[in-house]
Amino acid sequence: MQIREYILRRLMIFPLIIIGTSIIVFTLSRVGGNPIAIYLEHEMTPAEVAEIEERYGLNDPLPVQYLAWAGGVLTGDMGWSGVSAQPVTEALLDRVGATLELALFAAVVAVTLGIGLGTFGGARRDRLPDHLTRVFSISGASMPIFWFAILLLILFWVNLGWVSIGRSDPTIFASIAHPTGLYTVDAILAGSLTAFLDALAYMALPAITLGFGATAIIARMMRSSLVEELNEDYVDAARAKGLPEKLVLRRHARRNALIPTVTVIGLGFGFLLQGTVVVEIIFRWPGLGRWMADAVLRGDQATIMAYVLFTSVLFLAVNLIVDVMYAYLDRRVVLGA
Amino acid sequence: MTAPAASPPSRATAPLVVSVQDLRVHFKVKAGMAHAVDGVSFDVRDGETLGLVGETGCGKTVTARSFLRLVKSPPGIYAGGKIDFWSRDTRRSGGEPVDLLGISDREMLAIRGDRIAMIFQDPAKALNPAMSIGDQVAEVFYQHRSDDLIGERSDRVPTLVRRASRQLTTGPERLALRLPPWRRQSRALRRRVDALVAGALAETQIANPRKIMDRYPHELSGGMKQRVMIAQALACNPDLLIADEPTTALDVTIQARILELIADLQERHGTSVLYISHDLSLVRQMCDRVAVMYAGRIVETGDTPAVFSDPLHPYTRGLMAAVPSATQKRGELQAIEGNVPEMVNPTPSCRFHTRCRFAVDLCRRVDPELLDVGDQGVACLAYASAAELGVPESSLPLVEGPNR
Amino acid sequence: MVELSAPGRIPLPTHGPFAVRVRRLAEVAREVLRNPTTVAGLVIIVALLTMAFLAPVLTEPNTPDPYQMPRDWTMRDAPPGTPGHPLGTTSTGGDVFYGVVWGARTSLQLSVIVVGITVTVGIIVGSLAGFIGGKLDEILMRVVDVFLAIPELIFALAIAAVLGPSFSNIIFALSVVFWVKYARIIRGQIIHIKQNDYVDAARVTGDSRFSIYRKDVLPNSITPVMVQATMDMGGIVLTAATLSFIGLAEAGLAEWGVLVSDGQAGISAGKWWASTFPGLMVFLWALAFNLVGDGLRDVLDPRTERR
Repeated sequence: MQIREYILRRLMIFPLIIIGTSIIVFTLSRVGGNPIAIYLEHEMTPAEVAEIEERYGLNDPLPVQYLAWAGGVLTGDMGWSGVSAQPVTEALLDRVGATLELALFAAVVAVTLGIGLGTFGGARRDRLPDHLTRVFSISGASMPIFWFAILLLILFWVNLGWVSIGRSDPTIFASIAHPTGLYTVDAILAGSLTAFLDALAYMALPAITLGFGATAIIARMMRSSLVEELNEDYVDAARAKGLPEKLVLRRHARRNALIPTVTVIGLGFGFLLQGTVVVEIIFRWPGLGRWMADAVLRGDQATIMAYVLFTSVLFLAVNLIVDVMYAYLDRRVVLGA
Repeated sequence: MTAPAASPPSRATAPLVVSVQDLRVHFKVKAGMAHAVDGVSFDVRDGETLGLVGETGCGKTVTARSFLRLVKSPPGIYAGGKIDFWSRDTRRSGGEPVDLLGISDREMLAIRGDRIAMIFQDPAKALNPAMSIGDQVAEVFYQHRSDDLIGERSDRVPTLVRRASRQLTTGPERLALRLPPWRRQSRALRRRVDALVAGALAETQIANPRKIMDRYPHELSGGMKQRVMIAQALACNPDLLIADEPTTALDVTIQARILELIADLQERHGTSVLYISHDLSLVRQMCDRVAVMYAGRIVETGDTPAVFSDPLHPYTRGLMAAVPSATQKRGELQAIEGNVPEMVNPTPSCRFHTRCRFAVDLCRRVDPELLDVGDQGVACLAYASAAELGVPESSLPLVEGPNR
Repeated sequence: MVELSAPGRIPLPTHGPFAVRVRRLAEVAREVLRNPTTVAGLVIIVALLTMAFLAPVLTEPNTPDPYQMPRDWTMRDAPPGTPGHPLGTTSTGGDVFYGVVWGARTSLQLSVIVVGITVTVGIIVGSLAGFIGGKLDEILMRVVDVFLAIPELIFALAIAAVLGPSFSNIIFALSVVFWVKYARIIRGQIIHIKQNDYVDAARVTGDSRFSIYRKDVLPNSITPVMVQATMDMGGIVLTAATLSFIGLAEAGLAEWGVLVSDGQAGISAGKWWASTFPGLMVFLWALAFNLVGDGLRDVLDPRTERR
């Protein structure tokens, strides 16, 4: 069956692409100056520097260095993170929770708001709600996240004082255990309403900022899919059966319009990932994005490499899942018997 | 407005099911108003099959869709006329018809799928590709027969289940229906619907209806899909079936079977049928009476044999001559020259005059009305009364020549 | 010449007598201009371009390097409306209006250069992949897949980071990241044409592969490439500004991202203008090009709206 082949092919290519990505990442790190610069201190003698270089295998041929590094990655050793003064792997695990939580909430906002807006606009084609939706969508796609974040901060933080920057109130945060690294989940597990609300209060603004771009593209895709579906014969056939318009919209048009919208989820996720870097900087969120930003400014190769590799694998995985899901859904719609 | 021609004696007294009177449907386009349907009138009587024939773009589909108010509303506008409809009950009780263009949306919803049903041209496109056959056909029963589904002990049925039978439930409600307190009844409801669906499918000679119900449209052949559409349409035993080119998208071999099926079901249920088609041979086979449309107007009506053997209107004559037949000598295939005229902001004139061999100056200035000529109806100035029009006899066109 | 497949209510006129081509081009233009949002976008673009070109006229160019923000320690943090500084000044006394105007110039140069490079490289690689096919195609497409696996911003961020903070490195980084889409477009067109029977017919009449390429592939690809390039003009500036914001450009550069970043610190003290206006410019720039790109796509390539 066509779809099985498709899935298999994608699955087989997946590791190849990851390897390719790792090669690029590795090349980058070797291109840009001394990878161990961060370990060097100013007053080291050339001999000491040479010794460190030897220790870290910098005198080996590149392919060997690559394999050494790759091997390390697979066994969980990605070197030392200068910016956070801990092993890279540890630093990654420490921060992944914060970023994942933010991204998840932003994603929830983006999907619900995006689909809702898209449906709202698409069902009222070419009338005011539709035009507003389209303006919103295209603004969202053009919006520089750093600017949007700053505007929101000016409004809600400086002028209104409704939010604070950061991830949490330190006292409240320290009052519960953190098994999962996701503040909200931990708060639920600990049964602490204060902590839960605290988590939400700090997360609201960053999540909205982060989700904005993704909301826009999802809304846009949903709108155009819905308009297309509403033009199809089966929608009229459903009306001809005497079904009320709301039911026709919901059960026939919208449900089918959701299918192609799924394809945008992968794209939207990319938006989210990229956005975290900026959002975490501005909102002082202790996640992977800020980690990367620091590493970039300080030239911490190990961290940069780890971050790029991690986000790429994540991005690839999400896209793979989305594409497979779409192929599965779509075969009912497109594929003939 | 002159009444259309009388039907043959056996049907002349059959009660009216639908009476279209001066229907006008306009479309707003950049250049102005396009008169897609420009004063159409015809009747359909109990038990008869009326064919609405014409070339692409003549407005027959728009006319058909108007019955169920399915014309896309911007840019379409119902600009005039009425469509009177007598349901079985109305006919029995001798009551007044309803004007399909005038009734409320809610009343229209009650009629759609129940009293008047429609089957569409391409069954592949007219079925929702993401819903199973069973679910789609079930919708009709839920919508119109929910009381039957609930049964007589309606007081013993929980509200939630009752809402489900009318398709009024929201998401969370639907989830709740899977839970124990409501599950049994909800399943019973499902079983009853499925039985009705299976019955409807079996009527269209689908073998193994239960298996088909679980399938999706793309898994079925074209002929099967059309049977499903027919089953869906006839599920509630409608008074009128509108068939919009039901076999155009099908293989020739399947066409015959489907047509037979429709005819058979029609006889069994006493349904009246409005057949839209551009295929003359099909219409000749299937329809008791025929109405020929051109550029938004009816140009000729009458009993099928009469219109086919003795067409009165120049357009109809052209049509009959253009259809190749086995007896025709080679080289005689005649096309009608010219093109469909401007339908935007038209002036009074005969719409066919640009292509008509017999057109005279008068044809460009006067709208011909549909007139009785014996048992047929024609809209051509050649059959008009000069006196009534107030013009000299000599200004009328003359339609002559051998008929088919 | 056969006008292929693709989509488009109005295909671009690339053949035929000159007069016909001009007339049809006018048709396309008219159709594009029919959309009010597209027109709005064009208006904004014209305004931005004017600003960029007239920078030395609108403001007193800074010495020695006009692309560096001027400093004036006597005029720090002046609010908008201060005489001589309609949009206020930054924390180092630089005129915000100056930054806005010269930032436009910077952005223009940046986007034109990057688009130029990426389109060229993309076309070359895509053509090679499409024409030579076989193993080379496989390999090149895997490479493209790999490039696409890394989210754009993050990729550019990493490249600019390892090369060192400088605007030219940003340009380089963006070029490395943004060329892949064009390669795919061109390759796709070639593959499509190859599958078309027409090619066999042409081969029979002796047309060389290259002339088919010149006469068919290129003209048919212009449309999607144009749409993509327009969108990229916006996206590139957006990404570059983000990179500068994070800190990868030289300090003090008259570039919008840098300005927003510099202005961040003053926000809590109520000095909103140093970040808001430059940020607004980035938004307008991206918005304008997106609007126009969208409008172009609607007219020239309606089907591809899907992906």
